[in-house]
Amino acid sequence: MFKDLNPILHSQLRLAVVSILISVKEAEFTYLREKTDATAGNLSVQINKLKEAGYIDVTKSFKDNYPQTICRITPEGIRAFEEYVKDLQTYLNIKK
Amino acid sequence: MEEKELTGQESLALITKMINKARRDYLDSGLSALLWGSVITFCSLVTFANYWIKQPVFDYVWFLTIAAVVPQIIIAIREAKKRKHRAYDEDIMGGIWISFGIAIFLLSYITNAYQVNEEGPLFLTLYGVPTFATGYARRFKPMIIGGLACWLLAILCHYTPLPYKILCMTAAAQLAWFIPGLILRKCYLKAKKQHV
Repeated sequence: MFKDLNPILHSQLRLAVVSILISVKEAEFTYLREKTDATAGNLSVQINKLKEAGYIDVTKSFKDNYPQTICRITPEGIRAFEEYVKDLQTYLNIKK
Repeated sequence: MEEKELTGQESLALITKMINKARRDYLDSGLSALLWGSVITFCSLVTFANYWIKQPVFDYVWFLTIAAVVPQIIIAIREAKKRKHRAYDEDIMGGIWISFGIAIFLLSYITNAYQVNEEGPLFLTLYGVPTFATGYARRFKPMIIGGLACWLLAILCHYTPLPYKILCMTAAAQLAWFIPGLILRKCYLKAKKQHV
C-alpha cells in the first residue's frame, strides 16, 4: 500500500527526526535522542541515512570540551517532507 | 523508538506528536523579564521617593539600567549555552529586543539633549512595542496584556501630575515584565522539575 511513499522518510525514527527538525531551526543530537527516545547508535545510523539523502545537514563541533553534533533540515529535506505529507494525505483521502 | 512498518495513520500521528513536542519545548526562563521588571520598578520608586527626600545622588538612579546590561548579557550567554535546540523565532525576538535597547538609549539621549519634560509617555509607548510583539508572537497572554497596559499607561501618564506620573513607570514595569517574568519562571521551574 505504501510502496510509493518516500522510503527514506517512511521509517519511524527518520520520520520523527525530520518532523522535529522541520519545527526548529537546528537541534543537537542529544535533543533529538531525548525527544525520540532512541538509542544513540540507532539514531546515529538514521541521521547518517538522512544526511546521505541530502535531507539534513550535520555539523560536528565541540562545546565545553565535549563533542557536539548539530542537525538542521535542508531545503531538499523540507521539499521531501512536504511531498511525503501530501502523499500520505492522498492515501488517507484527507482533503485540505 | 524502534524501527517498524508504519501505517498512514501512524505516520500522521507521529508527525503531529513530534511537531508538538518541539513546539512545546520552548520555555523562557523568565530571568530577563524579572531583571528588567525589578530594575525599572526600583528606579522609578526611588525617583518617586526622591521628590520628597531630595537627595541629588538619587537623580542618578537610572544609571542602574546601564549597569543591568551586564547581568543581562550573562543571562543571555548562560541560556544560549544550556539550549539544545534553536527555534525559528529566536533570532527575530533577539532582534526586536536589541533594537528596543538601542531605541531606549537613543530616546534617553534625545529627551535629555532637547530637555523634554514629558518623556514618560514616550518611554511607556516604546516599552509596549517589544512586550506586545513578544506576547503576540509567542502567544503569551500576560505579555500581550503588559504591552497594552504600557500604552494605556502612556496616555494616563500624560494626564497625571508630578510626582505621581513616575508611578506609571512602576506599574508598566510590573505589568509588562515583572509579573509575566514570575509566570514564566514558575512554568520554567515546573517543566525543569518534570524533566529531572
